[in-house]
Amino acid sequence: MTVPTAVAGTARRKGAWAALVYLLPALVVFGVFIFWPLVKSMLLSVQGTDILGNPSGYVGFVNYGTLFTDPEFLTVLWVTFAFTILTVLPSIAIALFIALILHGRIRGVRFFRTAFALPFAFSVATASVIFGVLFNPASGVLNGILSHFGVGKVAWLTNPDLALWSVSGATVWMQIGYNLLVISAGLGALPDDVLEAARLDGASGFRLQRSIIMPLITPQLFFLVVVGTIHSLQSFGQIKILTVGGPEGRTTTLVYSIYEQAFANNNSNYGYASAQAMVLLLIVLIITALQFGVLERRVFYR
Amino acid sequence: MRYAVPAGIVAGSLVLAACGGGGGASSSDGAAAPSADALKSAKGVTTVSFWHAMDGKNAEVLNQLVSDFNAAHKGKIEVKSTYAGKYDDAITKYKAAIQSKSTPDVIQVYDIGTQFMIDAKQTVPMQSFIDRDKVDVSDLQPNIAGYYSIDKKLNSMPFNTSMPLLYINKTMFKKAGLDPDKPPTTLAEVRTAAEKLSKKNGGPADYGFGAAIYGWLLEQFMATSGAEYCDQANGRTGRAAGVNFAEGVNLEVVQWWQKMVKDGLAANTGRDTKAAQAAFKSGQLAMNLESTGQLSGYSDAAKQGGWEVGAVNYPHVAAGQTGGPIIGGASLWVNGVGHKDANKEASWQFVKYLAEPATQAKWHTGTGYFPNSKGALNQPVDVAYRKANPLFDVAVKQLEGTELNTATQGCLLGVMPQARKASEDGLEAALNGADPKAAMTKAADAVAAQIKTYNASVK
Repeated sequence: MTVPTAVAGTARRKGAWAALVYLLPALVVFGVFIFWPLVKSMLLSVQGTDILGNPSGYVGFVNYGTLFTDPEFLTVLWVTFAFTILTVLPSIAIALFIALILHGRIRGVRFFRTAFALPFAFSVATASVIFGVLFNPASGVLNGILSHFGVGKVAWLTNPDLALWSVSGATVWMQIGYNLLVISAGLGALPDDVLEAARLDGASGFRLQRSIIMPLITPQLFFLVVVGTIHSLQSFGQIKILTVGGPEGRTTTLVYSIYEQAFANNNSNYGYASAQAMVLLLIVLIITALQFGVLERRVFYR
Repeated sequence: MRYAVPAGIVAGSLVLAACGGGGGASSSDGAAAPSADALKSAKGVTTVSFWHAMDGKNAEVLNQLVSDFNAAHKGKIEVKSTYAGKYDDAITKYKAAIQSKSTPDVIQVYDIGTQFMIDAKQTVPMQSFIDRDKVDVSDLQPNIAGYYSIDKKLNSMPFNTSMPLLYINKTMFKKAGLDPDKPPTTLAEVRTAAEKLSKKNGGPADYGFGAAIYGWLLEQFMATSGAEYCDQANGRTGRAAGVNFAEGVNLEVVQWWQKMVKDGLAANTGRDTKAAQAAFKSGQLAMNLESTGQLSGYSDAAKQGGWEVGAVNYPHVAAGQTGGPIIGGASLWVNGVGHKDANKEASWQFVKYLAEPATQAKWHTGTGYFPNSKGALNQPVDVAYRKANPLFDVAVKQLEGTELNTATQGCLLGVMPQARKASEDGLEAALNGADPKAAMTKAADAVAAQIKTYNASVK
């Protein structure tokens, strides 16, 4: 290179300016819709709130104090974690199972792939309304089917011990479609030479899937665990539509609790709700960091 | 005519533009009625923004009333109605509107938001319009006006009103050997009937009784037995500091309800009112507590299912009690702060029109809501409607037979929506097996804490 260093510096500076210009639209959008609300939430979380929802002055960490001394908040955290585990793992496991079956040479595989991916096309609200009909204790389809087998009426959404399972089940169904698409894409991109080599070495069936295919799609699985966890931690629609957080608060997740404090029943405790939102932010950060620290080591990147 | 439309749009948008500026020079004090000629001196069309919480059939009827009004005031007033979501959502939006100084001229707010609306200090009390024009309000049903009156002053105009009833499946009553013309009047009698009606005792229904876990129903039991829901005479003599639903009458109700569920005589269909409605409609329940709003839905279901539905007075907790229920529903508030005199005056005209006997008769017959106007019941359309729906007369008689006192006036509480939800938390826990006293006390304590915060912030 014969270009003098001063010119290189100018070019680099020019490049930086160009980069900034290109980034500007994204920065503006992030700034206005992500970072500013974040800062605002932080500010609100250390303020009181009057009946109209206006901040009523600095109160220090009173909201956080109330939060951590409230026994109900422990229940909320527990429900949130249980809901996340009950939705993320099954939705990936079931999607993986279906994807592996569909990966084989079956007649009409395209039809099945489309059919199984269809839940992805449903909005959370639509799917929740449909599940509400299925779960209905009086006229629901599920209890109708069960009654043919002599099973009495199951209170899917009103039994405190069952409600979280029902809502999680509905959520799993909603997430399978997306998970299936991602895993199928991973399976479709498997390198033929590796598979062929494995087959020549005598690997087949379960052995092939466990030792060759699974390691090769770990990037997809890892992606789904991270994205699915964040998605589950932020779930709202199905809880609002199916159980409104009940019975006895047994389906009140952190996000639903934030909504209740801020907007439901004529509440406008924005300060308290913001404190909860900060806790949620922290939880998401910690879990994601853990996932990257622990799980990613086992991911096989080609 | 061809040119009139664009001209109207131009005039309308000018008014809108003028409104956008907030309180103009002609705006008087927010809390007082403007002078009666405020509208006369206004130029062009005054646009009244109206937020309501009615959907489905109710919204259709309401929009028809609005366009009738607009047609009658063409060139002078135009009401623009907007669905602001259900009651809870509408009030949440309203709070945001107060902050951004963009409140609508008129807003429909549910009964339990009354104290909040007063504390928000945005509205012109209805009484100041009534006094200014010397309007005769004796046409308003006293029990309905009673709920919205504080210190004998009407704050808002009652609009849609509902009342609770005990619905019975008459066909099942006959099958179980009960006389449907002698329906239960007390909780003990409801239980006796449920014992004969329930499947576990060979009765025709899966469960003899069932109602949604809905705090409103508990409020009704307290009123019909003469008990006050919150202290300070139901918040009518001073700001209430606590609720009474963890003791006395209401505790009895929760204990009774819990035992009904435990003994297999009552279904627990959860908080969703639609679930309990579906169970009654499909013949799984023989008795159900619901509002007058279900009259037509239940009648249709009975017709389709080939059974006969009955509606009777809301049961008393014990024999010998004579109290009646509290009205539910919503009322209309005219916003004053930041609104022009012409808009306030036009809003008053609109609200007054909605309270007229003829309008209320149309509203009642179109939606099934109870008419606020006594005169509405004499309108031919209303007489014909009640002839076709004789069950509605039960509600009329129940209301007319209810003595207005602080118990039937209902509790005035800034955190009433939260209190209702808390009572549902307590009842739900009890129905799922928790100790009634402990569950309701926990709920009442939670409300007391919320009241304290609320009262401290409105001082």
